[in-house]
Amino acid sequence: MTIKLIGKSLSSPTVRVIICLKELGLPYELESPASLQSLKDEDYIANKHPFRKIPVLFDGDFRITESRPICRYLVSKYQDKHNDTILIPNDVHKAGLVDQFISYELSYYDPPISKLIHQEKFSKRLFNKDPDPEVIKQAREEFAKVLDVYEKLLERKEYLNGEYSLADIVHTYYVYGIVTHSDLWDNRPNVKNWWNRLCNRDVIKKSLEETKSFWENNENI
Amino acid sequence: MTIRLIGYAFSGPVLRVIICLKELGLPYELEPPASYQSLKDEDYIANKHPFGKMPVLFDGGFRITESRPICRYLVSKYQGKHNDTILIPNDVHNAGLVDQFISYELSYYDPPISKLFYQEKVAKRFLNEDPDPEIIKQAREELAKVLDVYEKLLEGKEYLNGEYSLADLVHCPSTYYVYGIVTTHSGLWDSRPNVKNWWNRVYNRDVIKKSLEESKSFWENNENI
Repeated sequence: MTIKLIGKSLSSPTVRVIICLKELGLPYELESPASLQSLKDEDYIANKHPFRKIPVLFDGDFRITESRPICRYLVSKYQDKHNDTILIPNDVHKAGLVDQFISYELSYYDPPISKLIHQEKFSKRLFNKDPDPEVIKQAREEFAKVLDVYEKLLERKEYLNGEYSLADIVHTYYVYGIVTHSDLWDNRPNVKNWWNRLCNRDVIKKSLEETKSFWENNENI
Repeated sequence: MTIRLIGYAFSGPVLRVIICLKELGLPYELEPPASYQSLKDEDYIANKHPFGKMPVLFDGGFRITESRPICRYLVSKYQGKHNDTILIPNDVHNAGLVDQFISYELSYYDPPISKLFYQEKVAKRFLNEDPDPEIIKQAREELAKVLDVYEKLLEGKEYLNGEYSLADLVHCPSTYYVYGIVTTHSGLWDSRPNVKNWWNRVYNRDVIKKSLEESKSFWENNENI
């Protein structure tokens, strides 16, 4: 039975899971919700996500929500089954460090990037509010400090944990190509090289291009 | 070699790891930092936590940071070795659901609770700021909606995933801080029968009760850090 993924391919958490599915060689069907409003329907809350979010994954009858747990579940069940891509190492210490870097992304990397995406892409489009330059300025400053830490973390490493892993996948936001802050990555050689390396992996490259073309072609969600 | 845990025992994330260590029957040494300021020292950033946070755990030469990954690592390496407490089930589907509930705690449960605790305990004590009643009101409303979801999630269940797991454990510090230490908002839990019973059940586990009460005595006895 094919895996069913409820989500939208312009949403970072959905993209995270799509990349994971593709890297593991897993076929799936993507079902977009009817609209953002439909996430608040009683049926969605009862049968898909109790906190009205995307993505939601169905593997047969098994339902799981929250993008990072979904990815860890897929790796745990299917890693090594369809191809030999390793997203979480078997060694308990290395697996712990991959988990740690996923937590860094959630705790420190994501908050300022999400503010930038919200201000520059969603604020006007979804809420009819103009972007707030003060919020953008603060988010840029916060993100610059985070990338300073990443510049050190990536010293002499091709990927966050040495070899490519789920820790790198969860960082694949489309901000770099779409909003106007690519200098933050480009001014830091280790970060820039890491990002280029990620973007050149077939699965990720294709996924980011699809997302970018969505933003270029669509005025409304 | 004994596990070393860097942090203050009254800090929520550190307490989460302490409870996990105790549930697994693991001996450890707690090393409080010299001060909160010392977390920004170059040495701390280079050798302990690159973002200047706690906890940090050393297992021999292995260093790991971030409380939930630390807990998952400890379970992965030591579950079943010192006692038979199961914090993450072996079945891949149940393990996935435990992970999902841990994510609910992080994404939805913790933010409004942290705001409440910050306003009611931390702001004045650490930063000499008065509590902001508007933030408290919004955080209460947000938390009430989250607990409405939990009331349904816990329908017909003793614990979030049926049996006690790491998913329930991670909720302990923040719940206790607002329910047991601040107390003015405990009605939010007590007015929801499934949530109330769940919290009482979790709190009354020996390891948890003892760990949380030690934390309470810190808040009651110390004006300053």
